[in-house]
Amino acid sequence: MELVAALQGIISLVLILGLSPLFIGLVNKQKAIFTGRTGAPILQPYYELKKLIKKETINAESSSFISIIAPLINLIAVIVAAAMLPISFARPLISFEGDIILFAYMLGLARFFQVLAAMDIGSSFEGMGAAREATFAVFAEPIFFFTIGSIAFISGFTSIYDIYHSIRLDNLSFVVFIIVCSISVFILAVTECSRMPVDDPNTHLELTMIHEVMILDNSGIDLSLYQYSSYIKLFIYVILEASFFYPFAVQSYTLGIIIFVVVIIILSSALATVETITSRFKMKNIPHYLLFATAIGILNLLIYTFTK
Amino acid sequence: MDLFFYFLLLQLSSIAAIAFFTENKKASATAHLLLVVGLITGFITTLSALASPDFILKNIKMFGIANNLFRFDALGLYFLCIIQLVAIPTTIYSYSYLKHYNEKGKSVRSYLVFYAVLLVSTQLVVIANHTILFLICWEVMSTSAYLGMIFEKEKKDVYTGAFYYLIISHVVVFLLYIFFFLLRQQTNSWFFSDFHLSPDAGELFIVLYALSLIAFGMKAGFMPFHFWLPRAHPIAPTVFSAFLSGIIIKTGIYGILRTFQFLKPTPEWLGWFVLVISLISAIYGVWYALAQHDIKRLLAYHSVENIGIIGIGIGIGFIGSAYHSVPIQVLGFGGALLHTLNHAIFKSLLFIGSGVIYQNLGTRNIELMGGLVHYGKYFVALFLIGSIAISGVPPFNGFISEFIIYNGFFTTANELKNYYPLLMLISAVGLAFVGGLAVACFTKINSIMFLGKERKEVKHFNISFYEYLSLGIFALLCVVIGFYPQPFIVIVNKVLADGFVPAASSFNLLSINWYLLSSIFLSVIVGIIIIFLWKRRIQRKYGRRISTAWGCGYEGLNPKMQYTASSYADELNEISKSVLVYHKKINEQKDIFPIKESFESHSDDLVDKKILLPVFKSFSGFIARIKFLSYTDIRYYIAFILIIITIYSLIAFIWS
Repeated sequence: MELVAALQGIISLVLILGLSPLFIGLVNKQKAIFTGRTGAPILQPYYELKKLIKKETINAESSSFISIIAPLINLIAVIVAAAMLPISFARPLISFEGDIILFAYMLGLARFFQVLAAMDIGSSFEGMGAAREATFAVFAEPIFFFTIGSIAFISGFTSIYDIYHSIRLDNLSFVVFIIVCSISVFILAVTECSRMPVDDPNTHLELTMIHEVMILDNSGIDLSLYQYSSYIKLFIYVILEASFFYPFAVQSYTLGIIIFVVVIIILSSALATVETITSRFKMKNIPHYLLFATAIGILNLLIYTFTK
Repeated sequence: MDLFFYFLLLQLSSIAAIAFFTENKKASATAHLLLVVGLITGFITTLSALASPDFILKNIKMFGIANNLFRFDALGLYFLCIIQLVAIPTTIYSYSYLKHYNEKGKSVRSYLVFYAVLLVSTQLVVIANHTILFLICWEVMSTSAYLGMIFEKEKKDVYTGAFYYLIISHVVVFLLYIFFFLLRQQTNSWFFSDFHLSPDAGELFIVLYALSLIAFGMKAGFMPFHFWLPRAHPIAPTVFSAFLSGIIIKTGIYGILRTFQFLKPTPEWLGWFVLVISLISAIYGVWYALAQHDIKRLLAYHSVENIGIIGIGIGIGFIGSAYHSVPIQVLGFGGALLHTLNHAIFKSLLFIGSGVIYQNLGTRNIELMGGLVHYGKYFVALFLIGSIAISGVPPFNGFISEFIIYNGFFTTANELKNYYPLLMLISAVGLAFVGGLAVACFTKINSIMFLGKERKEVKHFNISFYEYLSLGIFALLCVVIGFYPQPFIVIVNKVLADGFVPAASSFNLLSINWYLLSSIFLSVIVGIIIIFLWKRRIQRKYGRRISTAWGCGYEGLNPKMQYTASSYADELNEISKSVLVYHKKINEQKDIFPIKESFESHSDDLVDKKILLPVFKSFSGFIARIKFLSYTDIRYYIAFILIIITIYSLIAFIWS
C-alpha cells in the first residue's frame, strides 16, 4: 500500500512535469484559432525547449555566479512545489501537515532567484521586470492565503491534498464559497504566471513585460530551464484550479483522472479566450486588480463565516 | 555551572589586558583572544548544562560559595546560549574591525573596555535571580552599550542617535523599577524564583503586564517604540550595532517571556493585544525598510519586523495560555524562541556584512554601490545566505521558525474553533504579506549592492580572514538550523517544558515531521547539483560565451543606466505613501530650455515625525518658559537642592 501510494505520487509528479509544456501548446493553438490563424503545432513548446538546449549560452558581461545558479534553483524549487500537488485521488509525493506553507515559500524561493538573476544583468530592462515581479508578488501572496489558505483554516487540514479532499458539496454556502475561491485562484494564476491581462507573454516591447523581460538576456540552456519552469508554474496553478472539481469524482481514481483531463482542457480554452478578448492592463492598475481579488477573497470569507 | 563564573572572570580579565599592554595592537589582540576563549568555554558549559537531562540546578555555587543570586533555569540558559553563540563570531569580527582603527592611529581602548563590560553584563542579565542584581546588570548593559556607541564621536550624527538610545534605556529602567518593586511588594521576595501571581490579583495584574510590555517592548523595539532603532544602529560601530540588534533587543523578549513565567495564565485579550501590535510592527518594519537607502538603517527596520514575528509567536502563546491549551503554547512560544535564536544569527551576519562593505567603500548608501560580486563572490554568497534566511525562504533557518509560527496559527484555529479560524487566517495572511515584502526588500539590497556594474568606483575591496571566519560561522549556523533543525528543536522543547507548559505533555515540537522537511531540502540541493552538472556538460557541447547585455541596439551602456534602489521600490512605496511619509522631489525640465534635472526621495518615520518630534517640541517649549531659573553659577543650584530637600522633609514630617 505504501509502495503503491509512493508510486502514484511519482506518477503524478512525472505527469505534471511531462504535461506542462503541452498545456501551453494547447493554449497557444486555441489562441491562434480564435484569432483566425493556423498556429504552431500543439507540441511546439517541446520542440522549443529542445531547440534552446542546443543553442549556445550567452551570459552578459556584468553577470555573476547568480546567473549560473538561478535557473537551476528556479527549476528545482518549482518542481518541489509541483510534487505537493495531487492529481485525482493519488497522494502527492510530498504530503505532510503544513505543506501548504512549504508550497507557498518554495515558489517564493523560485521568485527570489528569478529576480536576482534579472538584476544580475545590470540593465534597466531587467530591472523594470524584476521590480514589477517583486511588487506584484507582494499583492499576490495574500490572494493565495485568502483562497486555499482559507479552506485550510475552515477545514482544519494543512496539507494541500487534505485541503482539497475536505471539500464537500452538501453545504450550499460552502459551494458558493468554493466557486468564488476558484475565481480568485484564476486571477492569482494569471498574475503569478504573467499571462494576460497582467502581462502579455507575446509582446517584445520590454516596457510592457514582466516575466519575458526578466529573461531577456538569457539564452541557450538557461533560457530553456527558465521557460520550462514557467510552464510548470502555470501548470501548478492550473492544477490548483482543477483540484476544486475533484469532489464530483466521488472518491474514484479513474473518474478523478477524467475530471482532471476535462478541466485542464476547459481551463486552456478559458485562458485562451481571456487572452484573446482582453488587452493588457496599464502597469499601475495591476495592484488595484490584485487588491480587488484580495477584497473578493475577504468578502467571500466573511459571507461564508456569517452564513454557515 | 560553577565553572561558568570562572569563564566570565576570564572574559573580564580582558580589561586587565587592555590596561597591561601599552601598545594598542597588542592590547586589542590579547583582549580579543581572552574574550573569545572565555566565550567559547562559557558556551560549552552552558550548552552542556542545557543538553544534560537534569539541567535544573538548584544550588548555584559561585566560586565555591552557595547562593541564590543567580539561577540557571532553562529560559535563562537558552538566552545565555544565544548570547555566547552570537558573541563568539562577533568578537572575532571585532578584532579585524579594530585593526582599521589601529592603523589610523585611533585609540581603541575605551571601545574594548565597553565591549567586554557589555558582553559580561548581558550574560549576567539573563541569569540574575535577585531583582537588584538584575537591575544593576541591566543598567550596566545599557550604559556600556551607549558608551560603545559613541566610539566615533567626532562624527556629527553620532550623539543624536546615541542620545535616543540613552533616553529609551532610562525610560525602560524607570518602568522596570516600578514593575519589580510592585512585584516585590506583592510577593515579599526579591527573587525571580518566588515571583508568582495569578490573574486573581485583579487590576494589579494588568498594571504589571502593562509596565512589563511597555518597558521590555521599548527595549525590543516594538511599534510604536521602535524609533530608537533606526537612529541608533547606523551611527554605532558595526560590532555594537550587530550586538545591539542580535542580542540586546532580545533581552526585551527575554523580559516579556520572564514576565509570562511570573504572571500566568494570561487573559485572552492580552494575547490578542500582543498579536496585533506584533503584526503591525512586522508589516510596518518591513515596509519602512523597503524605502531606506542606508543599509544599516534598513537592517534596523528589519529588526523591527523580526521582533514583530517573534511577538506574533508570543501572542499566540498568550492566547494558548488563556485557554490552557498545550499545543498552542508550544507552537507559539516555541516559534518565538527559535526565531529569537535565528534572528540573532542572521541579523548579526547581515550587520557584520554591512560593516565590511562600509569599511571598504566608506559609504552606507546602497545607491552608490553595485557590482561588488565581481570583487568578492564568496562574501556575496555569505551575505546572500543571510538574506534568504531573514526573508523566511527555505531551506535556511528563517523558514523553520516561521513554519512553526504558521503551524501555531493552524493549531489555534483548530483547537479553539468559533471565530478563531477567521482571525488566525487574517494573521497568517499578514505574516505572508510580510514574507512577500521581505523578499522584495532583500532582493532589492542584494541586487543593488552586489549585482550589475559598480555605480561608484571601487578602489579596494579586501576581506580579511577574520571577517570571513566570522561571517562563515553565522552562515554555517543558518544552513545547519535550516537543514537539520532537530537538535535545536530538542533544546527549545526543553525550555518550553521548564516553566511554560507542563513537562509531561504529549504534544511537543518534535511532533512536526522534521525529517521529511530535512530530506526535502537535501533533495533540493542534490537536484540542483545534478542539473548543474548536466548543464555544464551541455554547455561544453554547445558552447558558452560572454557578451554585452541587450541595450535595444544602442552601444555603451553605462552603470548610471542601471535600475536604482529607489526605482526598484518605487511602486511599493507609492502605494503606501501616506503611511510611509514618503516624498519625492523631482526637478525636471518644463520649459523649452534644458535645466539640470534632479530627483530625490525620502522616507521619514511616521511615529518620529508626527508623534515624537511634536511632543518633544512642546516639551522643550515648556522648558524654555522656565528657563529663567537657569543660572551659570553653581551656588544657585546648590540652593535649589537645599530648598527642595527642605520641602520634601517638611512634607514627610507633616505626613507622618
